Amino acid sequence: MSKTVIPFGPQHPVLPEPLHLKLVMQDEIIVDAIPAIGYVHRGLEKLTETKEFTQNTFVVERVCGICSCMHALAYCQGIESLMNIEIPDRAKYLRVLWAELHRIHSHLLWLGLLADAFGFESLFMQVWRNREKVMDIMEETAGSRVIISVNTVGGTRRDISKEMLTKISVIVDEIKEDLKQVEAAFFNDYTVKHRLVGVGVLTKEDAYALGTAGPMARASGIKQDLRMTGYSAYGELDFEPIIEQDGDSYARTVVRLKEVYQSINLIKQCIAKMPEGEIVVPVKGNPNGEVVSRVEQPRGEVLYYLRANGSKTLDRLRIRTPTFANIPALLHMLPGSQLADVPVLILTIDPCISCTER
Amino acid sequence: MIENMTEIAISQLLSETQKMKYEDYRFVTASCVSLGDDGCDVIYHFDKDLEMKHLKLRVGKGEELPSVSKIYFCALLVENEMKELFGINITDIAVDYGGHMLLSDEELESPMAKQQITIVEKKGAK
Repeated sequence: MSKTVIPFGPQHPVLPEPLHLKLVMQDEIIVDAIPAIGYVHRGLEKLTETKEFTQNTFVVERVCGICSCMHALAYCQGIESLMNIEIPDRAKYLRVLWAELHRIHSHLLWLGLLADAFGFESLFMQVWRNREKVMDIMEETAGSRVIISVNTVGGTRRDISKEMLTKISVIVDEIKEDLKQVEAAFFNDYTVKHRLVGVGVLTKEDAYALGTAGPMARASGIKQDLRMTGYSAYGELDFEPIIEQDGDSYARTVVRLKEVYQSINLIKQCIAKMPEGEIVVPVKGNPNGEVVSRVEQPRGEVLYYLRANGSKTLDRLRIRTPTFANIPALLHMLPGSQLADVPVLILTIDPCISCTER
Repeated sequence: MIENMTEIAISQLLSETQKMKYEDYRFVTASCVSLGDDGCDVIYHFDKDLEMKHLKLRVGKGEELPSVSKIYFCALLVENEMKELFGINITDIAVDYGGHMLLSDEELESPMAKQQITIVEKKGAK
């Protein structure tokens, strides 16, 4: 049978950002897929070589809006390690709280986009209605909705009042109750399951060999979550990663949905255990040496490699984002799939091209 | 300062990477640091049960660096990235974009390299 090459993207209704795939087809079945990226590469790693190490916090937040807070967290953590800075305990809890709020809004954004991709518009709206509540918390605590700029080398730039913490606790409870009403649609609806169950299966062995990260890996049964290492305040919170075994699109959906509940739980624990005290310590001198800093973002592990020379600017700031790690798995899943499943398959890796093309 | 980092020669790269695979390490990524006329430092990062190991080597200007993508397929993207952004002559990448994965066909420079090397010099196809 003859083969046809179908270009998918870079502009496509299911893609919020430009990603191009050359799909080699035999009838309706994909036999090969070749990705093309580079449409929106911004050279932010290069830009960091010209900025002072304290200014870079604001540059790395621009890598991605959805997980901006965690980019800054990974970067600050690396610099603090190079400079032997111990940040105040309250700052550690605040960092976790904002990070988990980011995870909730990222996963709700993804669940909404998934619902939209398989044509369930009302589900999309219900999920995003709850996401707005998280965005409102961001605005009220940090002054902006997306890039909140709360992390700084040595701690956090903002504190949260006791009254606001109580309010956050009430709002996340509301989100939990609302989400319980829509979760049945994701977990049990016949049409939704028909589009997700058994689609894009990634076995545990393949997921590991292909270096997948985050919910992609956990949905294939790999117990891998950097929060287990206990960075920031995670070591003082009850935490067990969400694992599913089936490795299909449905399992990836279940992992992300359950992680929203888990983030709510972590936020509640943070609020209950948050100590009083300072939120930042003064930073003196310049970083020197090299370090690897890793953080668990909503899409998975982000790695920062930093090399400093004792001056105000860094020799190198390298970022490996989770989407970059998950693209090889997508290339593995596509061959053998139906053309009609491509949008869902691409979505289930939760691609962030902004991160990939930092 | 980085724990579990081993310095190796280019000739040891494939055997050391194969050893990592045999010991069930996951390939995380590779980082590259441009050193100007001295070439580049390349650090390969691996992970097993959230513990990392790193292999570090130095590649001189124009020197060939074998691809590890035959051992870890997932290394192909970062190797293509290093090839075009730093001008490292990485050979036998599983899918070789010829220096144009991120850069357009008109772009001939390696923007992250302190010493500029053109696509023609690193044997990239247009």
